[in-house]
Amino acid sequence: MTFRVRTDRRYIRHAYHSNRFVLVEIVAPPARQERPRPPVNLCFVVDRSGSMSGEKLALAKLAVESSVGRLRSDDRFAIVVYDNEVDVVFPSTPATADARRSAMARLAEIDARGSTDLGTGWLSGCRQVGEKLLLDGVNRCLLLTDGLANQGITDHDELVRHAGELRARGVSTTTFGVGADFDEVLLQEMSTAGGGNFYFIAGAAAIADYVTSEVGEALEAVAHDVTLQVTAAPKVQVESLSPFRFERRGGRTEITLGSLVAEQVLQVVLRLSFPLGELGRETVAQVGLSDRDGALEAVAARLAWQYADGQTNDVQERDREVDRAVARVFAARARQEATALNRQGAYPAAAAALSKVAKRIRGYAGSDAELRAVVAELERDASEVAAPMPAMALKQMHFSSYASARMRTVQGRVIRDR
Amino acid sequence: MPPDTAFTLQELADLADVTPRTVRYYIAQGLLPAPTGSGPGAHYEDAHLDRLRLIKRLQRAHQPLAAIRAQVGGLNDGQVARLADSDHQPPTDSAVDYIRAVMRDEPPVAAPPPPPVPAMATPLPPALPDRSQWERVALTPDIELHIRRPLMRHQNKRVDRLIAIARELLEEETP
Repeated sequence: MTFRVRTDRRYIRHAYHSNRFVLVEIVAPPARQERPRPPVNLCFVVDRSGSMSGEKLALAKLAVESSVGRLRSDDRFAIVVYDNEVDVVFPSTPATADARRSAMARLAEIDARGSTDLGTGWLSGCRQVGEKLLLDGVNRCLLLTDGLANQGITDHDELVRHAGELRARGVSTTTFGVGADFDEVLLQEMSTAGGGNFYFIAGAAAIADYVTSEVGEALEAVAHDVTLQVTAAPKVQVESLSPFRFERRGGRTEITLGSLVAEQVLQVVLRLSFPLGELGRETVAQVGLSDRDGALEAVAARLAWQYADGQTNDVQERDREVDRAVARVFAARARQEATALNRQGAYPAAAAALSKVAKRIRGYAGSDAELRAVVAELERDASEVAAPMPAMALKQMHFSSYASARMRTVQGRVIRDR
Repeated sequence: MPPDTAFTLQELADLADVTPRTVRYYIAQGLLPAPTGSGPGAHYEDAHLDRLRLIKRLQRAHQPLAAIRAQVGGLNDGQVARLADSDHQPPTDSAVDYIRAVMRDEPPVAAPPPPPVPAMATPLPPALPDRSQWERVALTPDIELHIRRPLMRHQNKRVDRLIAIARELLEEETP
């Protein structure tokens, strides 16, 4: 296992507020051959509203079937479908061969109809998982939808809050959005608060690929409920710029990373905002990693900054690796902002969101080829978002930004050190 | 240089927002264990930090030092860590209870109040005072925002956004 923590600059300004960035690099350990994997407890929640009719629903059923086919008899699974009504097609059951067969027979009878009560459908799925909570495995609800929540609980913030509360109670949430009509901001935020992952599936043909890959990740997880803890002086503000949930707990900031897959490579970018301080004084932060079951070795790293005058700050060395990670994550955030603005018809504002970040990065890029490439891509995208974009292109830009900021491939898969 | 999991006296004081002198005083008074090692090589662990935080919390409740020593002295490191962070207790209801409450459209069971420190004479101050107070947020050394707390949840979110936008606008540095 690798755990490396570094900062972009070691001096901070004594007479102004300073932001400094911290890059945390983690490589998860390989799977332990001598020990069988812990069981998983999953619920597949499938949208069966009218818009899912035909190919989409048929492929979603296939995805559930091939995922369930990978489970062992000590795993559990449940299936819930919803439109304006919720139907528990198959309550949580050990994944024996008999159970898998009869679940598939029941699922085959489901057809599409009605509107979308996403909230109740998803909560019913979480309930199936919650009723049989495993202490040592992955407990996860997988929500697949192509539409907006237009029945039941439709408030975005409320759904996101419930996802966070359920994660705190042991049930995580992963979301899959299919096609051009779902709400990607809602699904991404539910998964971030819910400690799971988010996927955009452009074409129905790929549904099974994405769903089985997510289930595969759950099966190959080597650590669960992984969190980073950052301890810094009380007046130092700590936040995660990478799309992970973070909260201040007592004197520490805790960042929820979810499960780690064997040999997964993960980078997390943090921003620390320092108050003014006495010239020459040092201030430290400690970054530690822990997980629910103590499967990872206990590691921690310490960083120190020194308050210095403007001149020392201006000429200090920068860690280029950190600069690049910071630039990538700011670029990803700006693209998500720009897609939202473009959808609202605010085209000049969308372009400005990207140009502004491009300009900032250019300010410290110097001759660094990778940073200049980030700037060039932002400038190219700025001209794209300056005019109306098709819904699918917006979804794609939003999702690839999310995936890159979470250190995943453009298909949302984990990157491994192999 | 202490190991990565440890702090020097100055660092510990910085993280707990006290002076090094206070740390030394607490050690002399038996409120904090002595550091590992001695002289310039002396270093402190997370457990020291948690204990310092708990002492500060009890001091805010106007507990005299002798009473604090009596209470904190008998606690192990795990108990101290839990009490120091007791504004954030894990939920006590299950996922299923939570979902039932949401589906019945009832407010889910509220988080329980932080547990009292064992054998404590005076209760801790409540998390939210009844009276309102003004919070000063320094956006730059020259510009401040004044907010009267507490605010409603939706107002809080807007104020957070306002601060984020204002800081970004006024930020003097790249990126």
